[in-house]
Amino acid sequence: MEPLSSYLILSSALVGIGIYGLVSKRNAIRLLFSIELIVNAANINFVAFARYSNPPILSGWVIVLYSVAAAAMEAAVGLALILVAFRLNGTIDVRKLNRLRG
Amino acid sequence: MTDLVFLALSGLVVVSAILALEAKELIYGAIWLAFSLIGVAGLFILLGAEYVAMFQIAVYVGAVVVLILFTIMLVQRERGRIVEEEEPGRLGRAGALIAGLVALVVAGAMIFLAPVSPETPEFYQVSLRELGRSLASSYSGALVILGLLIGATIVGALTLAKVEREGKSNGTA
Repeated sequence: MEPLSSYLILSSALVGIGIYGLVSKRNAIRLLFSIELIVNAANINFVAFARYSNPPILSGWVIVLYSVAAAAMEAAVGLALILVAFRLNGTIDVRKLNRLRG
Repeated sequence: MTDLVFLALSGLVVVSAILALEAKELIYGAIWLAFSLIGVAGLFILLGAEYVAMFQIAVYVGAVVVLILFTIMLVQRERGRIVEEEEPGRLGRAGALIAGLVALVVAGAMIFLAPVSPETPEFYQVSLRELGRSLASSYSGALVILGLLIGATIVGALTLAKVEREGKSNGTA
């Protein structure tokens, strides 16, 4: 059985990859990918901590169920926003969508 | 044995997460994202949470990735293909630097601050009956709020994405 710290290292690697995408990518859909990766890192942590606490607790599983549902909703709204932005501007490059800049 | 499975799954998760962000075509990026999410589901199974893994596959791979694929097709159909401009290398290096620092700090903080028990508890199978009972009793308020949130989100997304007939609509049926 691998120790808890291996799961923690894996999830922080996922957080790092997601933040790299958020900082360096220009396509709005790729930013959505990065957000999903970060949410998944958090979910891995929830399940791993729930599994390794002694005795194992159920709330880790339950909160992951809720978190997955919330992430799906967030993706739906984000994709709708991307569609609207594309329709209005003809691009989904987040560095060109700066009409609201003061 | 479990060590090998864990190594293979985490390799799958990390490599396909990187490929999802770096693939040239956005469609292939979405497919790699699906592989990464399936790998996370495998990790859940390894942690004894089969139901969560099934939920993850059904919702993420079945709904979110399919939604992303449809959006990519919608965005591509009107323009031929998405022109993704190359990021300046400076930005990519800055991103990699910030991401590495954050990952190091997060990993260090979690490993040193986590209440790690010296011996891992014996394998614990969460039963579906127990999970369902707690969802219906102690977590039922949150479940109701989640349902309301889903309803509001669907209405909001539909309102946002609706194509208006008059004005400068694209007229796609």
